[in-house]
Amino acid sequence: MKKMHCRGGRAISGTRAGSTRFLKLLLVGIPLLSIEGSFLPAAPAEASRREKSVVILGIDGMDPILLQRFVEKGRMPVFQKLMEEGSFSLLQTSIPPQSPVAWSNFITGMDPGGHGIFDYIGRNLKTYQPAFSLTHIDEPGHTLHIGDWVIPVSAGKATLLRKGKAFWQMLDEHDVPYTISRIPSNFPPVDCKGRTLAGLGTPDLVGSYGTFSFFTDDPTFASLDVSGGAIYPVTVENDGIAAVLIGPENTLKTDKPLLRAPFAVYADRANRAAKILIGSTELILKVGEWSPWVEVSFDVIGPLRSLKGICRFYLKSIDPRFNLYVTPINIDPARPALPLSTPPGYVTELYKKIGFFYTQGMPEDTKALEWGVFDDGEYIRQARMVLEEQRRMLDCALDDYHGGLLFFYISTLDLCQHMLWRNMDPEHPAHSAEAALYKDQLEDFYAEMDAIVDHVMKRIPADAALIIMSDHGFSPYYRKFNLNTWLLENGYLELIDPAAMEASHLFGNVHWRRTRAYAVGFNGLYVNLRGREEKGTVREGAEYEALLDELGTKLLSLKDPETGEFPIKSVYRASEVYHGAETKNAPDLIIGYRRGYRCSDQSVLGDFTRDVFSYNMDKWSGDHCIAPEEVPGVLVSNRKLRVKDPRLSDFAATILALFDVDVSEAPASSRPIF
Amino acid sequence: MFDPKIKIDKDLFAKLKKAADIAGYSSVDEFIIHILEKEVSRIGGDSSSDEEIKKKLEGLGYIS
Repeated sequence: MKKMHCRGGRAISGTRAGSTRFLKLLLVGIPLLSIEGSFLPAAPAEASRREKSVVILGIDGMDPILLQRFVEKGRMPVFQKLMEEGSFSLLQTSIPPQSPVAWSNFITGMDPGGHGIFDYIGRNLKTYQPAFSLTHIDEPGHTLHIGDWVIPVSAGKATLLRKGKAFWQMLDEHDVPYTISRIPSNFPPVDCKGRTLAGLGTPDLVGSYGTFSFFTDDPTFASLDVSGGAIYPVTVENDGIAAVLIGPENTLKTDKPLLRAPFAVYADRANRAAKILIGSTELILKVGEWSPWVEVSFDVIGPLRSLKGICRFYLKSIDPRFNLYVTPINIDPARPALPLSTPPGYVTELYKKIGFFYTQGMPEDTKALEWGVFDDGEYIRQARMVLEEQRRMLDCALDDYHGGLLFFYISTLDLCQHMLWRNMDPEHPAHSAEAALYKDQLEDFYAEMDAIVDHVMKRIPADAALIIMSDHGFSPYYRKFNLNTWLLENGYLELIDPAAMEASHLFGNVHWRRTRAYAVGFNGLYVNLRGREEKGTVREGAEYEALLDELGTKLLSLKDPETGEFPIKSVYRASEVYHGAETKNAPDLIIGYRRGYRCSDQSVLGDFTRDVFSYNMDKWSGDHCIAPEEVPGVLVSNRKLRVKDPRLSDFAATILALFDVDVSEAPASSRPIF
Repeated sequence: MFDPKIKIDKDLFAKLKKAADIAGYSSVDEFIIHILEKEVSRIGGDSSSDEEIKKKLEGLGYIS
């Protein structure tokens, strides 16, 4: 158990991925976020660097325990050979082990004290309101009002909040060519000379992490208040349905109506099929069939200006109930409304080679499964479609690979372990006989990773350095812990109206002048500090330090009355685990939950529940936002490791070293591991 | 730039001050703000934008 000191500071700036801002970015013009690469004639040392080959597969969430289990079962012979003849090690993950944090460590060679990403969710210092922490959208500064039209005169801007130089920007200075595909924590993509494609953190067209649409005449769905999607009750009249796809707000109009793309469906019950008409596209789908990607056009200024997106339709059923699922409206790679790549045209090049593809950062539709729109089989099928697209994209990258660095990201294991852990694990409270039908699905996906590595090895030079790594491992998520309710019950936080405890949201009911500590995000605990928070109460110095000691001690000794376990394994002080100028913006304490536990959904967003502990009955049944020592990642390579404890933040120096670049150009915290 | 100001009569202010002292607030300002915040929360002040923000945040898969 660890307990360290920390010091206070300012919070990170609030962010808001509002759909309104995305439209403004499109229509006024987006500042160029990349420059075209140009390679001058290379000096001999530089020429030899460009001939070196380094290929890194980033398999998000690959877990060392599951990896070893499936290797021992004989399902992963390629990994087995690499692990025996090359290197296999645990890979130290970030504090906390969340993907935006972990990948930022990987990218910059720094910990969150350097790059400033501490959690998926941060808070606004003035309002205490939770907000996404990776990107910020600035509205246009100047607008012109003409009638009921609002014309932006200056451009808005999407800003990546991750600080620090990316390792590929370090390679730019030595003209090493690279392709960085779908890397998280890089939307919008940073300026650089090479080819990069944004990954996790990239929104859909309405500015969310992904909002599906579900058109149904089933009344049981109509009563659901879903997140990550929208349920549209429909009435089938004469076997026909008129419906609309909803886009972002039209901020060019003073009343900001939502953009709409109408479509019609004609059901053929006898043949269990439907015809869908949208724009100039006609689709015929049988029940259980997915459409190809379809372009969707939202008229912004009548027919003069429109906003393009893409989506796919899935006809789930037609009789006795009509159920039609539509994917989130993705940013169109053929005509991207937001910057998705460097150079800007790279994403369109990809589209020309492989067709349309998911551009949103987290394409596996976990929300559709969570809300029962998909069953397990349908979710797995959609996840396979995503993997298939990623494999085509990987092949495209390999076609163009002639040395230099190739980084390719695969999301499958992470999202599927989140959703399908309960299928595999009979101990999980959400396990069932029905779920057990898919108990081997995760094993099958691990085996597919083995096939992908085999394929890559056959296509890269024999002397290429091959590295397979993950940002964190995985744990079952059995029990939820509402840290904010615990703070309330233990006198650290007070409500304005205790009777309305569960009814209010986003800290709306908190009496800040009577509150000393509050929790935001999956692992963050903040002191309500005078001079930092808008309504801070705790003084810096002795009072602050004593409070941190007290909180750490109490949390580490806290017992779950139901299980008798200690849910919190570690409590870190930011000042002792983070290094760099951004440390002042960090949570005061980072809570490391024990395997099996995680912060509850409500607590993450500043909501309260009557119970501090509860069982996790959700389909989201595996997680990793816990103590980092519980969920290390994996590192497998055909090169021999020279360190016993490799870390994510070591990759910046490692990559430079593999290209014979002076490693002092990477942060001092990063060291070569081969 | 001045913060918004509200006028109340002296008798009411005196009562508020006495109540604040009895209830243990550090100042009458704190007491008045607490009462007003409680009432706004009860009525449901700017709930529409809060709902929108909450929906967006809940769209992250990690939050069920």
